[in-house]
Amino acid sequence: MPDKMCLTIMSGSIDRLTGAAVLVSAAVSMDMEVEIFLQLWGLHAFKKDVIQKNMNLSEFNELGEQVAKRLQELKLPMWYELLKQAKELGKVKIYACSLAARIWDVKKEDLEMVDEIIGAGEWIEKMREAKINLFI
Amino acid sequence: MSMTPEELKKLKVDKVVDARGTSCPGPLLAAKRAISSVPVGGIMEVLSSDPGTKRDLPLWAKKMGHEFLGVIEEPGYWRIFIRRKK
Repeated sequence: MPDKMCLTIMSGSIDRLTGAAVLVSAAVSMDMEVEIFLQLWGLHAFKKDVIQKNMNLSEFNELGEQVAKRLQELKLPMWYELLKQAKELGKVKIYACSLAARIWDVKKEDLEMVDEIIGAGEWIEKMREAKINLFI
Repeated sequence: MSMTPEELKKLKVDKVVDARGTSCPGPLLAAKRAISSVPVGGIMEVLSSDPGTKRDLPLWAKKMGHEFLGVIEEPGYWRIFIRRKK
């Protein structure tokens, strides 16, 4: 079984994406292979015209400003910067769900960091091989 | 069997990685980046102000096949010593 972590990312909220990016970075540091599958809102958040503008939070909206300030003080890069670094440093593949790609009517070129558009069946096979599987 | 602070202070360190400006997982990434510039058998010292690092790095070293030597606690940060084994 390859030393691999799979993340199915449904959420497009930056708090959840940040949590995911931290785990991806840690996994890459530990020499794990990482594969990511982007569904509905997750894929939306990777669109070139959305990725940097997105300020959407999943919970505790009133604390968002406070968290953003603390993250800046602690010098944590933005979630997409963390993912870019992880991609440079290790084996990270990002796939777009083909249904989500059709919903948003996007091609690979419209998306940041996405390597391929794949179907759910192929993703199931990839998850079957992973030691760690997360749904975010 | 980690070394005592006194023993650690006597070590000849080949590379110091100052990751005190970053938060988890920054120090882990910094360690991964830096280890390749340490000669095999050489010692890397990682400075981190993130409390997770002193537990992360021994696990990282074990996973990567390196040797965790020990940790010195300083005010506001930790000094973590690792020997590159391969």
